Amino acid sequence: MSLKNVLAVALGILSAIGGFVDIGDLVFNTQAGATFGFQLLWVVVIGVVGIIVYSEMCGRVAAVAKRPVFDLVRERTGFGAGLATLVASQVVNLMTCAAEIGGVAICLQLLSGLPYRVLIPLAVAGLAVASWVLPFEWIERVFGYLGLCLLVFAVAAIKLHPDWGKVAHGFVPGSHSGGSLLVYLYFVVGLLGAAMTPYEVYFYSSGAVEDGWGPKELNLNKVTATIGYGLGGFLSFSLMIVAAVLFLPQGIDPQFLGTPALTAEHAFGKVGLLLALVGILFAVGGAAIETCFSGAYNTAQFFGWRWGKRERPAAASRFTLAWLVIFALAFLVVITGYDPVKLTEYSVIFSVVALPLTYLPILLIANDHTYMGSKTNGKLANVFGVVYFVVIIAIAIAAIPLMLVTHGGQG
Amino acid sequence: MSTPAEVDIALGILDHQLVDADGINCGKVDDLEVAGLDTDSPEIVEILVGGNAWRSRGLLGRIAGRLAGNAVHVPWSEVDSVSSVVKLKRPASELRLDEGDRRWSALVGKVPGA
Repeated sequence: MSLKNVLAVALGILSAIGGFVDIGDLVFNTQAGATFGFQLLWVVVIGVVGIIVYSEMCGRVAAVAKRPVFDLVRERTGFGAGLATLVASQVVNLMTCAAEIGGVAICLQLLSGLPYRVLIPLAVAGLAVASWVLPFEWIERVFGYLGLCLLVFAVAAIKLHPDWGKVAHGFVPGSHSGGSLLVYLYFVVGLLGAAMTPYEVYFYSSGAVEDGWGPKELNLNKVTATIGYGLGGFLSFSLMIVAAVLFLPQGIDPQFLGTPALTAEHAFGKVGLLLALVGILFAVGGAAIETCFSGAYNTAQFFGWRWGKRERPAAASRFTLAWLVIFALAFLVVITGYDPVKLTEYSVIFSVVALPLTYLPILLIANDHTYMGSKTNGKLANVFGVVYFVVIIAIAIAAIPLMLVTHGGQG
Repeated sequence: MSTPAEVDIALGILDHQLVDADGINCGKVDDLEVAGLDTDSPEIVEILVGGNAWRSRGLLGRIAGRLAGNAVHVPWSEVDSVSSVVKLKRPASELRLDEGDRRWSALVGKVPGA
């Protein structure tokens, strides 16, 4: 591998780490840490391995068969079930996009002191202009690299000197204390949902097709998915650990998006606070663009339209309109003033329900020789793929009942 | 028609991406017109794309088909090859498969840089 390739892979990994965390991870990891301490760390491991398994699979399908995820959904589930999946995924994408935009506006508010409502239109306009002007790889890089400021939470987690024995214990599933079993299970579902959000595979596979991945990129795919997302998972651990150290003993319930940033301030003063807010700003800003584009990708792929950032916007006019309309709709949702943290909780829980119909077609096509030739799933990918599919079905069934009986984790 | 052939059409052609001669996406195989079903050698006559081609595709398809306009009919003789996509012999514009994007391109074209 040449130096240039190593650099390209390293940059890809960095933007995958920076792009891993979104508002769902921020909300669920800090709330889980504040409620159950380190006891739910093992769930993050399971969630991260899950997203690695399915991202690698859909990246491989994109590289070999050149088909993005929603092509597969349509081809394998047909028109009716495919359309139902499209509608469900659009609702979830829109809610998530709105929540991320709300997150951007909150960060801007904390950084500038200007009113939240004034900053919402600015946030949407800024994201739309960035999406219009920047080429695909620059969007990924700008937001991915600046999202790396979130590493301040990893350093804070070390500096706060948690009881490492207890942290290690949190990686082993077992009995729990400090809350009811149902609330514990609600957080299990939420953390898995936040780590395995469907839009990540929509965006990842569409991006791979846009970048023109071929068999040569199979290794890049493997490395980006495993190392990039794997290391990204450490950010999730950090968020949970700092919340467990600082919020749990004080009985603080982080119901405000700015609250996690206070842990960085506690560890590093003003600089820590600034890094945390900039990190959150770009992490959720990047995710807002990803969810918005996922919505446009899915629609275009379902109906067979021209799509992609590389296309001239007027030539792929329906795709272009689709993402502009999604930004506009997300704006209308956020401007109502509905709490972005609540919106995040709903969007993560609903996304869990949409997971099976997204992941099943990936699993089927990744095993189909007519698409994949000799690059079908190996034993390892299939064992993980099937086990995770069973897990996904279970949490999809449990998600909404758990949300209702626990009043969104409030007990 | 033998059972394996039915499976092939449903799994290998229906709902697949249509790509024109220039490699541009131009719709999905939303429905197929098959002739000679009562004979020994039925054959696909044409591909139906968009609009009321969805009518035969379940409840949601019926609703969507009612809201959309007429389907575009593409003769099967225009098909170049079938792989994970159905590749056509001619550009989308010659087969009236570019109308969807053309309808909106003037509007989108008003934005600077489009």
